[in-house]
Amino acid sequence: MISFKNATVEYQPGVKAMDNLNLEIKEGEFVVVVGLSGAGKSTLIRTINNLVPLTSGELYVDGEAVHDLSRKKMRALRSRIGMIFQGFNLVDRATVLQNVLMGRVFKLPTWRTVFGVYPKADQQIAAKALDRVGMLDRAYSRATDLSGGQRQRVGIARALAQEPKVILADEPVASLDPPTSHAVMQHLQKINQDLGITTIVNLHFLDLATAYGERVIGLREGKLVFDGPGSECTEEVFEGIYGRSLTAEDTLSEEA
Amino acid sequence: MTASKVELPKKPGIPGAIIFSLVFAFVLTVVTMITVEFSLTEIFSNFGRRNLVADGLLNPDFGQILSERSLSAFIETLQLAVLGTVLGGGMSMFMAYWATEFGNPIRWLRAIVRTFNNVVRSIPDLLWALLFVTAVGIGILPGLLALFFFSMAVVTKLTSDTLDGIDMGPIEAAKASGSGLISMLRTAVIPQILPSYTSFVLYGFELNLRASAVLGLVGAGGIGSRIEFFRSRGDWSEVWGLVLMFFLVVFLVERFSVTIRRRLV
Repeated sequence: MISFKNATVEYQPGVKAMDNLNLEIKEGEFVVVVGLSGAGKSTLIRTINNLVPLTSGELYVDGEAVHDLSRKKMRALRSRIGMIFQGFNLVDRATVLQNVLMGRVFKLPTWRTVFGVYPKADQQIAAKALDRVGMLDRAYSRATDLSGGQRQRVGIARALAQEPKVILADEPVASLDPPTSHAVMQHLQKINQDLGITTIVNLHFLDLATAYGERVIGLREGKLVFDGPGSECTEEVFEGIYGRSLTAEDTLSEEA
Repeated sequence: MTASKVELPKKPGIPGAIIFSLVFAFVLTVVTMITVEFSLTEIFSNFGRRNLVADGLLNPDFGQILSERSLSAFIETLQLAVLGTVLGGGMSMFMAYWATEFGNPIRWLRAIVRTFNNVVRSIPDLLWALLFVTAVGIGILPGLLALFFFSMAVVTKLTSDTLDGIDMGPIEAAKASGSGLISMLRTAVIPQILPSYTSFVLYGFELNLRASAVLGLVGAGGIGSRIEFFRSRGDWSEVWGLVLMFFLVVFLVERFSVTIRRRLV
């Protein structure tokens, strides 16, 4: 489904955000990526939809060779990959529904987007996505009137509206408080279980990683340093990933 | 608690630069007054004299507005302002877009667009009118061209500042979902700038309306031509009648426009 082969990303010569990565992610897996900031978590996620291109190596996603893809095919691939962001990346002035319909844009002729005329079927898909995250009643609210947790749920709905094969979530709970963080993680988990969408989530809270990660991948300086089920993630494992002893800031709940 | 006194640290003195600037501004004012031979007594003694211009202001001839030629010149002025703003405002959307980093990734090309915008903005409305009167002759066309460039410059500047400050997050989201350039602009950028942009265009319209009155003074059409006509004949009552009527129109349109702009932003 997703497979990295000797994949490397260099932002500047000598500065490797991804260093000779070999990794296979199967269809329907729920993968949590952990590591210190700067370890290459965001880079890993962004290579999958080619927001960050590989410097060398190969990457296959849903049957496409991402490292060698025409512009047109790349857009088509991106439309099959939903993305969720730390900062939500919603249009604040637009309504919740308008934000979610952004997920349908690729499938529609440009004139429809320009005039904002969305077919009934696409509105139905957007409504279903909103319903799944419990935000249907706020469809006509402006995004700016929502709380952080609600905004992230709209972000999830926007990704779902693409009817994606893969969902990428880059630090989806980093701007949220603990209860809201769990609610958002549970939505992602449930979507993965119900719809079988391959899900890759970057997290820096280790207790969230063990709680939700069926599979945890540890990155350090762009290299894969751990790959195993969340249940096997002990404190020693995390200290190995982080290269230092753990502190209270590494977990969402206060005890550590 | 002890009653011992607390010593405040030494108060910082007024910086020398401020004192120097104040003295400089004062000296400059005095020198200027002497060079232009400014004299209050002259102003007051001139008040007493009979003044044809002031007499006209006391008896403005509002009937002039009903005359066919003045009325059509009036309408021409409004048309100039509307058309100049629509064209200039429309063009400014593109100019502002090409002046931003995400709209124009090529650095030197962006520098050219920005420099062009700055040059256009530094030319005042009346100079534009003079330029185009010289280039295409007397009439309504030079006025339209002047207002086009004038409002384009103002609206471009304001819009590109807004574009520079927009949230890039939705753009990343649109890209990540596979949308093309036009769809991305429509869904991620336009909703962010539309209220501000509309307000800038209305502001450009206010400026154009005011500017359109003086365009006629240099032969670029509109009510200014009629005012200049009466001024050259010394018909001050007619001049003031037209000026006051124009003032009323500008005032009403501005109130209306300002009200809308307040609601937008």
